[in-house]
Amino acid sequence: MSADRTPANKAVSETQLIARAQQGDEAAFEALFNTHKRRVYSLCLRMTGDTAEAEDLAQEAFLQLFRKISTFRGESAFTTWLHRLVVNVVLMHLRKKGLQQVSLDEPDGSREEPVKRDYGEDDHRLLGSVARIRLARAIESLPHGYRSVFILHDVEGYEHNEIAQIMNCSIGNSKSQLHKARLKLRELLREEAKNLAPEESELSGLDPER
Amino acid sequence: MSDQDNETTVPERAACREFERGLASYLEGGAEPSVLAHAKQCPYCAVILADLEQIRFVSHHLPQEEPPARLWANIRAHLEAEGIIREPVPAWRRWLPRPAFFPSSAPLGALAALALFAATLLVPGRSMENRSRLNAGTAGGGMVAASVAPIGPDENLTRTLSEMEEAYRSRESSLEPTIKAAYQRSLASLDACIHECSRHCEMEPGNTLARQYLVRAYQTKAEVLASALEYGGR
Repeated sequence: MSADRTPANKAVSETQLIARAQQGDEAAFEALFNTHKRRVYSLCLRMTGDTAEAEDLAQEAFLQLFRKISTFRGESAFTTWLHRLVVNVVLMHLRKKGLQQVSLDEPDGSREEPVKRDYGEDDHRLLGSVARIRLARAIESLPHGYRSVFILHDVEGYEHNEIAQIMNCSIGNSKSQLHKARLKLRELLREEAKNLAPEESELSGLDPER
Repeated sequence: MSDQDNETTVPERAACREFERGLASYLEGGAEPSVLAHAKQCPYCAVILADLEQIRFVSHHLPQEEPPARLWANIRAHLEAEGIIREPVPAWRRWLPRPAFFPSSAPLGALAALALFAATLLVPGRSMENRSRLNAGTAGGGMVAASVAPIGPDENLTRTLSEMEEAYRSRESSLEPTIKAAYQRSLASLDACIHECSRHCEMEPGNTLARQYLVRAYQTKAEVLASALEYGGR
């Protein structure tokens, strides 16, 4: 790692960029955009599963950020501030679309449904190595309620108390939805593995049930 | 599958249910020793546990997607339209330090000079003969005439630009060497561009592209000189 890439220098650099952006400096806006664009866009894409929507939402999130940047005083990490803003933009969009398909206030029914297993058959591991692309695709197939909690927790690293605050639900429901999401993902990946031709699954490292 | 196999799986199901009840908590880091203990004994539950742990691990390392290149262009356009980008930065100026404020009226002078340059270049010249010839025939010919009118020497133009250059020369010694060198490179490049565009305009009076480049070169030179005067006046 070069000297100017250390976290401390990066933070100083970002602080300077923010200060310049607060003065309306175009180059600073562009530098901040370039620093965060991939994570912001990826979050939008995973939450919506649609490239056009993701682009619109990323644009809206950055515009809101830059409109408010003069109010940023550095009490919290800029990245945290930005990503909370992005999540809010996306969730607002999903609510407007009525896509909260799984209520976060529904009773926890995960314990009522047994985990799918195949007794009497060789139940090999789902994946020798979970292919990231297939996992990303499976995440897009999750119902939106599951998807949001899963992305926030397992992909973005939010804690359950933060998710509960962001999504206006209880911590218990956040945990419950996360577990359901993981089980659902496993199901989706297993289904996909079954549908792959043997030679394809062998090549891709999948080890489907036989 | 033999009957013996079936007999061995059935008693395990109750333990498997117990495993499932503790699974979510275990994956969240909860103390659930029975989960791991059961997974060691039950190959089916071991697979479930391994799958979920792997999904959780890989999710933390998903690749990030690159947004379309037009995303920044769209955002930038909004920022400029809303006045959030307060002063669009010309490309040539991005590598120069930005003054904190305008300490003099030089920018206004440059703007006036700029308007003068543009007006003189775009309005047909003083030759009535040329104007009548070029306007003849079509409605709206004025624009055509303006775009193809030959550029003649203009005393006001050359005097204004000379004055700005003279003012700059008198102040350039006060600039930092690196800043001064940057301005000199920029002005030399613009002079070369003006010379080249003027030559093409003289050779091809109807070459509108050369005329547009010439106007732009004059504009940029006026901006550079104004900027240099700001620095020199601080």
